[in-house]
Amino acid sequence: MAAPVPWACCAVLAAAAAVVYTQRHSPQEAPYVQYERLGSDVTLPCGTANWDAAVTWRVNGTDLAPDLLNGSELVLRGLELGHSGLYACFHRDSWHLRHQVLLHVGLPPREPVLSCRSNTYPKGFYCNWHLPTPTYIPNTFNVTVLHGSKIMVCEKDPALKNRCHIRYMHLFSTIKYKVSISVSNALGHNATAITFDEFTIVKPDPPENVVARPVPSNPRRLEVTWQTPSTWPDPESFPLKFFLRYRPLILDQWQHVELSDGTAHTITDAYAGKEYIIQVAAKDNEIGTWSDWSVAAHATPWTEEPRHLTTEAQAAETTTSTTSSLAPPPTTKICDPGELGSGGGPLAPFLVSVPVTLALAAAAATASNLLI
Amino acid sequence: MDEGDSWGMLACLCTVLWHLPAVPALNRTGDLGPGPSIQKTYDLTRYLEHQLRSLAGTYLNYLGPPFNEPDFNPPRLGAETLPRATVDLEVWRSLNDKLRLTQNYEAYSHLLCYLRGLNRQAATAELRRSLAHFCTSLQGLLGSIAGVMAALGYPLPQPLPGTEPTWTPGPAHSDFLQKMDDFWLLKELQTWLWRSAKDFNRLKKKMQPPAAAVTVHLGAHGF
Repeated sequence: MAAPVPWACCAVLAAAAAVVYTQRHSPQEAPYVQYERLGSDVTLPCGTANWDAAVTWRVNGTDLAPDLLNGSELVLRGLELGHSGLYACFHRDSWHLRHQVLLHVGLPPREPVLSCRSNTYPKGFYCNWHLPTPTYIPNTFNVTVLHGSKIMVCEKDPALKNRCHIRYMHLFSTIKYKVSISVSNALGHNATAITFDEFTIVKPDPPENVVARPVPSNPRRLEVTWQTPSTWPDPESFPLKFFLRYRPLILDQWQHVELSDGTAHTITDAYAGKEYIIQVAAKDNEIGTWSDWSVAAHATPWTEEPRHLTTEAQAAETTTSTTSSLAPPPTTKICDPGELGSGGGPLAPFLVSVPVTLALAAAAATASNLLI
Repeated sequence: MDEGDSWGMLACLCTVLWHLPAVPALNRTGDLGPGPSIQKTYDLTRYLEHQLRSLAGTYLNYLGPPFNEPDFNPPRLGAETLPRATVDLEVWRSLNDKLRLTQNYEAYSHLLCYLRGLNRQAATAELRRSLAHFCTSLQGLLGSIAGVMAALGYPLPQPLPGTEPTWTPGPAHSDFLQKMDDFWLLKELQTWLWRSAKDFNRLKKKMQPPAAAVTVHLGAHGF
């Protein structure tokens, strides 16, 4: 008695499995891919079914409520990103799969943001792009570079997908470069372009390996060394100049020094015993703009005994302001003698180190400006 | 008008050459060598480049749009005789000193002549004054380059009769095309000044006495 019932169950199950199998693997099914705009309304017909056919819709395997149906068509209003998915409609009684739609909800692209920079002058430059807001669907970008009427090749970066590289064929060109980018996806298209002269986009990478060391037996000195950025291909023919800024951690105001050559500098007016933060930037001697600031180096000048605050010792010290550059630095701060803590002393453009006697003389005149 | 311009050019070049300071031929192994005059020439190119920025701004505003628009990017038509600074990178790098200096000298000789032509046509007194001042500075640069060449024993390029640049407007040379020529002249001048800075920097590096010799000397005296 028990035997026939389970056997019949098995048969039914097997039949059901067969139906499901044929549904899943029917020859007509590669889902139709459809892109729709965020916020819009869409009506999905059930393939070639009549409007009055009895169908059920599912999304990603979950049944959809019948109130979304208009006849056999599925109506979705106010599309949201969550509406993306695989929509399938089935004949209500036979569960025969009639139609599948892979719906992607997204946006047409807005105007892309394009920028170009040469950190490897005179070898070449690169351009970066991105979209200001996401589209949520795949986009293709197409970059063209024109030098006058000549088309130049922009080689894709091996690692970054939103960057390509152009090699300079000629130097000292009077003709501008025009870089255009167009972006398109299933919902729309946009484009932008920029034009520039060879010289204006030059911006080196920051100096590397900035190291600051105390100088033994010199409580007011710090020795700073750095290297030219490794991406700058020819520092001999295209020398860089450097901009150094430093301040004790406890103060906000930076001191600046501009150096026309060399990759080392000794700070001679550090406050004894205070930890300093030091950064360096680089620029081609004649063209382009300053690099970003390097990774900061920290150092404390040499001290003879364990560090503790002795206010009389600090009051006796003075600072001599070392420079204020005439060239536009990344942070344009001119040492203001009137401001506390700026180390107000006579402004001496391009002065790198001040003899100790001069410093003491200045101290006599400005001791009252002193701080910490 | 054509002939007048050619004569003008010739006269201009001759004037430039005759007014060069008489530079005694320096012994190459002399005390200072050409280093200081190369530095001076480099400094002059920087000074001129600064001067040109304000001059070009004023002049382009005088020409009016589209010439004074930052994105103005016309095709390079005409202005064929302007000396072009543009050069292949490897060619530039491998120029020998004599050629490097000669190219600079010839370029500025021609550019100076064209600038003087510009000055003759300039409408306002202020523009003429600025242009004249710039021409004087440019002549100073020419003299400085000549000085370096003499110090290194290189002959100055002599203009051959009939090969000077002729600034001859064609029969249908409109006002607009004339302005285009002015635009390219200023652009080429600016680019040449940038290039010269690089040229003279390269020369400076080559002429530098080896630093090691100096420091060893000091060290020997002991501390």
